[in-house]
Amino acid sequence: MKRSKTMELGVGLFMLAGILGLVFLGLRVSGLSLSAPSDTFTVQANFANIGGLKPRARVTMAGVNVGRVSAIELDTDWYDARVTMELNADLEGRLSRDTTAAILTAGLLGEQYIGLSVGGDPETLSDGDTLTDTQSALVLEELIQQFVSNMVSN
Amino acid sequence: MKDTPLVEVDDLHFSRGDKEIFRGVSLRIPRGKITAIMGPSGTGKTTLLKLIGAQLVPDAGRVRIDGQDVHALSRKALFRLRRRMGMLFQSGALFSDLDVFENVAFPLRVHTDLPEPMIRDLVLMKLQAVGLRGARHLTPAELSGGMARRVALARAIALDPELILYDEPFVGQDPISMGVLVQLIKRLNEALGLTAVVVSHDIKETLSIADYVYVIADGQVMAEGTPASLDVDQDARVSQFVHGEPDGPVPFHYPAVDFYRDILDTGERR
Amino acid sequence: MIRRITALGRQGCELLEALGRSGLFLAQSAVGRPSREGLFLWLRQMHFVGVLSLAIVLVSGLFIGMVLALQGYTILVDFGAEQALGQMVALSLLRELAPVVAALLFAGRAGSALTAEIGLMKATEQLTSMEMIGVDPLRRVVAPRLWAGFVSLPILTVGFSVVGIYGGFLVGVEWLGVFDGSYWGNMQASVDFIGDVGNGMLKSLVFALVVTWIAVFQGYDLIPTSEGISRATTRTVVYSSLAVLGLDFVLTAVMFGGLS
Repeated sequence: MKRSKTMELGVGLFMLAGILGLVFLGLRVSGLSLSAPSDTFTVQANFANIGGLKPRARVTMAGVNVGRVSAIELDTDWYDARVTMELNADLEGRLSRDTTAAILTAGLLGEQYIGLSVGGDPETLSDGDTLTDTQSALVLEELIQQFVSNMVSN
Repeated sequence: MKDTPLVEVDDLHFSRGDKEIFRGVSLRIPRGKITAIMGPSGTGKTTLLKLIGAQLVPDAGRVRIDGQDVHALSRKALFRLRRRMGMLFQSGALFSDLDVFENVAFPLRVHTDLPEPMIRDLVLMKLQAVGLRGARHLTPAELSGGMARRVALARAIALDPELILYDEPFVGQDPISMGVLVQLIKRLNEALGLTAVVVSHDIKETLSIADYVYVIADGQVMAEGTPASLDVDQDARVSQFVHGEPDGPVPFHYPAVDFYRDILDTGERR
Repeated sequence: MIRRITALGRQGCELLEALGRSGLFLAQSAVGRPSREGLFLWLRQMHFVGVLSLAIVLVSGLFIGMVLALQGYTILVDFGAEQALGQMVALSLLRELAPVVAALLFAGRAGSALTAEIGLMKATEQLTSMEMIGVDPLRRVVAPRLWAGFVSLPILTVGFSVVGIYGGFLVGVEWLGVFDGSYWGNMQASVDFIGDVGNGMLKSLVFALVVTWIAVFQGYDLIPTSEGISRATTRTVVYSSLAVLGLDFVLTAVMFGGLS
């Protein structure tokens, strides 16, 4: 059986291009970083209303990405939303216990994300802790309703 | 063991759709001889070869090669048996993506672990036998019909089979390549002691090399015997076929209603 | 009326029989110990099926990405949301367009050629003679082609996405003036590697299997005449296109439609 070197080279390049393309899709398009995903710790927070927050939404601190929402479920003890977040491991032991979590909206109609802001407690958060100080999503309809009822009562 | 026939076909029945092709055909193909299977076209001679090669399964009856029932073998055992058989196809059936050399080398590469120089020697030997050693670098598309069939013959004998099946080897050949093929088949049989089955309707060429002839028509063996005995056979159908008379017991016309009525019967049916 | 129902029943039986035959065919050809020889045959088919389809797939990908950016821009700019262009281009390519369009092109370019090639080998008795030599044509002819198709199409799909996203970048950023930081940034914020790239690839693998399967089976199962070959080639393109589009809906519903 005759073997053609150019053909083998062509197929090799073809497959290499496929792998490189996948790497491109991973790094440049999905924004994966090369650090291992295990370098995270989880904290939880209960919100009275999460609005349109979805799993995989960003978690930011001062506008910088520090993690992702990994799960959202209904807490049947309090009937509010229990949000689990994965935060970068290098923040473990640096966030104060009274850190607040707020659900924010990017722009007027943009996606919703969680913003964290540090408090002053000397004790720090560790894996599995729950944030107590939370601020629910702003729901546009409720705002309008409030505004209208204020107008009426005035 | 030497005296038992290599191929035994017993009471073979086969039909395709509603059309019955064989209604109880029995044949004995002796070792080391050339056996011809003849008959008018459309009597399923090629089908018979495919049944012997176990590419088709009969409705009833048995085909035994060297005592083994070919249709009862497992796929693996069948492929092992086929290694001992060669088949020459009507169209040659050369692999179009391989050149002449590689076509002949194909069975050797698949079934043996011979080193490359040995394969080269064997292939050149086989090509020399069919007179095409010089054409080894051509592709099948560059060969004439006669050459393609000779290459196919070289490929069929590459593994030195015991049994070789020729499917219409003379069809569509000019007189020269026909002569070459007749000589080749004869010589291979004599030199290698091959058992050969030739399916053909070219009477003169076939009778000149066959040791024994079966004539098949209407799904049955109509006559059998040596070429000499067939030539003087009294049966009207046999003599019509052997002497190539256009009309006789085997009608020239396909069955139809009376010609006169058919012509006048316009309008209703076609 | 009864005759029609009978005809329907017969067609159903025939369809079921063809499905069974093709399933058996797939199982027999795909399974088997790989060998050095097989590897080489596979390599040759990779060249034929994959490398030679690369040009048409990449060019189409580039144009589709460019058109997406152009169309998307005109719509998004009305909402003042043209920063979301990268996200839109990337998501539509990764989730839908790349797997589907690459599979359709692949069916037309490589699938039909596979059918015709195997069909011609059947018509010239090459498959039968291979069987008589004692070589299983399913292993020797069909399996390398099946595997080559199965591996090639996902690679082609990746190429399609990459080139398409780049095409969107050319039009959106270079030509229409979207800020390139927001093109890539929005894309990175919204594209999930497993959820979007991974599911797109999964779709592509399914399409690859279905398209190559249809192509080689049509070639192997056709009536060996010139008319039979031309019909089977047409059938390959028609059936694979329908299968790809139909399966795409099902897969999308399962993956992204909250049906999981």
